[in-house]
Amino acid sequence: MTAIGNVSIRDTILQRGRSRERSRLLVFNHVVLLALTAFAVIPLVVVAFNSVKTNLEIGQNPLGPPVNVVVENFPNAWDKGNFATTMSNSIIYVVATIAAELVFGGLAAYALARKKPPGSDLLMLYFLVASTIPLWMYIVPLFVQINFLKVKIGVDARILLIMVYVATRAPLSIFLLRSYMIDLPTELEDAARVDGANELQVMTRIVFPLTKPGFLTVGLVVGLGVWNEFLLALTFIHDPNQYPVTTSFYKFVDRFDRDWALTSAGAIIIIFPVMVLFLSLQRQFIEGLAEGGVKL
Amino acid sequence: MKRLKILFAIAVLVLALAPVGAQDVTTVTMWFGEGSTLDCWGPLMLEFNEVDPSVQLEIVPQADTWNVTRTAVAGGGGPDIVRTPGPSFVYEMAQAGLILPMDAFADEMGWGDFFFDWALDLGLVDGQLYSLSDELETLVMYYNVDVFEANGWTPPDTMEELNALAEEVEAAGLTVFSHGNASWRPTNEHFVGEYWTQVAGPHKVYQALSGEIPWTDESLVEAIELLDAHMQAGWYGGGVDLYFTNDGVYRRTSLAEGSAAMNIEGSWAIRGTVDYFGESGQTWDWAPVPSHDGTDYFTIGMGNTSSINANSPHPEAAAQFLTWYFSPATQGKMLTNCLKGPAPVAIGEDVLGALDPRIARIYAALSDASANDRYGYTTWTFWPPKSDVYIYEEIERVWTGEITAMEYSEGLQELFAEELAAGDIPPIPTR
Amino acid sequence: MAVLTQKKPMTIAEKFNDESWRRKFLNNVLIPWIFIAPLLIIHLYVVAVPAVQGIYMSLTDWKGVGMNVNFVGLENYRELFFEDETFGKALSNNILWMAFFLTVPFILALFCATMLSQVRRGGMIYRSILFVPYVLASVVTATIWKNLLNPQRGVGAAVDNILGLEGVFGVAYLGRTETALMSIAFIDNWQFWGFLMILFLAAMQSIPPVLYDAAKIDGANRWQEFRHVTLPGIRPILVFMFMMVAIFSFLAFDYIFLLTQGGPGGASEVIATQLYKNAFFRFQAGYGAAQGVVISIFAGFIILIFVTVKRRGWDI
Repeated sequence: MTAIGNVSIRDTILQRGRSRERSRLLVFNHVVLLALTAFAVIPLVVVAFNSVKTNLEIGQNPLGPPVNVVVENFPNAWDKGNFATTMSNSIIYVVATIAAELVFGGLAAYALARKKPPGSDLLMLYFLVASTIPLWMYIVPLFVQINFLKVKIGVDARILLIMVYVATRAPLSIFLLRSYMIDLPTELEDAARVDGANELQVMTRIVFPLTKPGFLTVGLVVGLGVWNEFLLALTFIHDPNQYPVTTSFYKFVDRFDRDWALTSAGAIIIIFPVMVLFLSLQRQFIEGLAEGGVKL
Repeated sequence: MKRLKILFAIAVLVLALAPVGAQDVTTVTMWFGEGSTLDCWGPLMLEFNEVDPSVQLEIVPQADTWNVTRTAVAGGGGPDIVRTPGPSFVYEMAQAGLILPMDAFADEMGWGDFFFDWALDLGLVDGQLYSLSDELETLVMYYNVDVFEANGWTPPDTMEELNALAEEVEAAGLTVFSHGNASWRPTNEHFVGEYWTQVAGPHKVYQALSGEIPWTDESLVEAIELLDAHMQAGWYGGGVDLYFTNDGVYRRTSLAEGSAAMNIEGSWAIRGTVDYFGESGQTWDWAPVPSHDGTDYFTIGMGNTSSINANSPHPEAAAQFLTWYFSPATQGKMLTNCLKGPAPVAIGEDVLGALDPRIARIYAALSDASANDRYGYTTWTFWPPKSDVYIYEEIERVWTGEITAMEYSEGLQELFAEELAAGDIPPIPTR
Repeated sequence: MAVLTQKKPMTIAEKFNDESWRRKFLNNVLIPWIFIAPLLIIHLYVVAVPAVQGIYMSLTDWKGVGMNVNFVGLENYRELFFEDETFGKALSNNILWMAFFLTVPFILALFCATMLSQVRRGGMIYRSILFVPYVLASVVTATIWKNLLNPQRGVGAAVDNILGLEGVFGVAYLGRTETALMSIAFIDNWQFWGFLMILFLAAMQSIPPVLYDAAKIDGANRWQEFRHVTLPGIRPILVFMFMMVAIFSFLAFDYIFLLTQGGPGGASEVIATQLYKNAFFRFQAGYGAAQGVVISIFAGFIILIFVTVKRRGWDI
């Protein structure tokens, strides 16, 4: 009891000291954070303003709040951008890429983290070096490879695009998932093995559930990347019914001109789903990073 | 994970339900840039599908069309109809065997009957026809009539008159030209090509293009120096740095609302000009670009070319579409409805007569100039690719003061001589 | 690895007859590689095979269309290093870019994460908003900022207007040779730094509070606390991101291409934009491929540095 009493007294003193210090510091903290938050958000507020103005008003009042709110920009942009189609396509690309990336990346990361077969270091180096190669250097040979599967084997272009996404994002996922798994305690796995679990069970029942925050982080980063990607999509998808959402952004531009009102509304439409998704998942996402962060 | 698995299963299912095309109809595919141009052209081009039910056109809208097309065609894919931004691109594709020679189709389908001879010649590579030129273009000087009338100005004919007028325009607090390249960086080359033709004269340019004189010829360098002087004086959009950030919207609005007096731009800008002046309620007109001696020179350019992909499983059907598309009837209709720059084909007088007289006058002046040896050259149509990129990229270094007009011309000469020697140069009609 | 550390080396025949060896082989070599195989095969097909072709093309005069090429040896590399005057400019721009991205976002993110880690109330809101730019597509971000930096209708013009000035802040940031590259870096950083901040914040939050208490008791001031507790605590992610950002600095492309395409007058040209123009505008794809290889070699140097440091005992 005495010991506890002592500790609590020390804690109280410390806390009082800290809280006094904190309240003094926090003013400064909040000023800085508010300034940085404004820096992050003001450009988006301007876009939101412009998304409900006419082009004429954007010309006269490019930054301020709208004088007359024109909500029609949204249905117009939705129709002109063909968002109904492109958005559902993008959802397919995002979900399929994340699923494939997590399954294949999880398997590979598990092998590298836990089994470290001969050649692991070389493989890591290979992925690291591969991530330094600029796409423009090999885009034409890549097109030949992909076109072969499409024309000669008859694989759906969308599956091929997903395959390209999975491959180009493989190094990052492997690095992150592997580092995450390496630092998981092995006691549970050993215990499971003692209980007679085989490798597959150890991986799927013990390691993967513990890696959930890592999967979430990789899934979010990969998903964001795919949602926002357009160069590879333009190169490999040639059917308007299969276009991703970023191509909609190009519907508001001509060779020399851009419709700013529709562009702004379109930007909001593209941003909105990912923002909602991020904000709803962010607690887990950040917790995931917090748990796995040090081991990245 | 379970939820993800279900979503993945759904995704796979959706992917498996790929549409299945009908068998007995030949579909000709064409990729076309996304945007308002397609909105107007698309429905008119699709009227082709009523001509012959067994041959159908499919237009695939594309963002970044040309880059995607080039990668796809180079990689053994791509659409049946290959559209390129100009003859020099056709040259490389033809050399690589990626597009088909079309001489047989030209004979069989009578393309010579409606195409101008010189225009068909533009599509020749090593004596064979590989492409058909589309969108005949020239550059003119648009101006705001209200501004000119209010100040008692008249459009300048010579560079000297332009000089005098520019001073007055600036004194009135206006920008001389609503120029800028933020929306389309190669805009630079429009001015380089224009100054060569207008200042040194088209015959000098022709000599340089045929390798008789170098690009460092005094008169040609002078043209670049004059362009640079006008740029440095702030005529182009209000200053060198502003020129680099003025976009297409600025170009149209500042002219249409009268904060800029003039705009040297291509005939492709007619539609935008009409639209923006329609909104501002002011009046536009055009005059020939001023030249050194007051002669009305008009540069000729082609906005696009069409070829047939060597991979196309049905080149005849593609040629059938091209025949229909390039026919004077179709071209006339697209000119009337969309103000599309017509292909170099014999369009009936009645079509031009129905247009806004200002617009009709542009095409009349262009054909008059080409008949009377007053036509000049646009860089994207008549220069080989490396030189063309050099022209619009490196001119910026002249404007930012890094190199002189002479150094610029020397660099071009070196590159051009290389390409000329290698034979990589588009056909230049003899004068 | 267990196979290699066996004390008495066995012959191959012995190994195959030894059941425990077979099980070890199965468990430690075969099954792991079967797990790795799907992703590796996809990656080899999509990246390695085309990239090797690209490397071969860098030794040819390939035009980028068609496959009829002539082998020219190291001619492209010779031209690149000894004749191409614009290459030096592009390379120095890449290095400037790297200098910017190894300092500005890191300092900003470290500073902000430190501020944020001390805040209890509103912390979640701050970090959500600060992360939002990261979810935007580069094409959307570029479009937004091109407008905001416009000299006539952008933020600068508005500031001038309020202060009664003209042309002081409302200048063509993207149109001036002195400011173009750094303006693009600024925009790219606007989108990127929040991500870095969240990573650091997450790492900071996993530092045991006991360490801070101990530092307090030792009388550490805030800087010392940051220097001796926070920095060591987040070092692994810091070092890892340092390496990744350094590598990506040589690959910089999308914002530059979206905003200035290397202009004005080559002021914002980097190797990747040159590569793109050579491959797609000038029909010099072989030459462009050589530039791509050079990018990889430079980035490879960065990797080499980090691997060496790691070998010397740093735990990355």
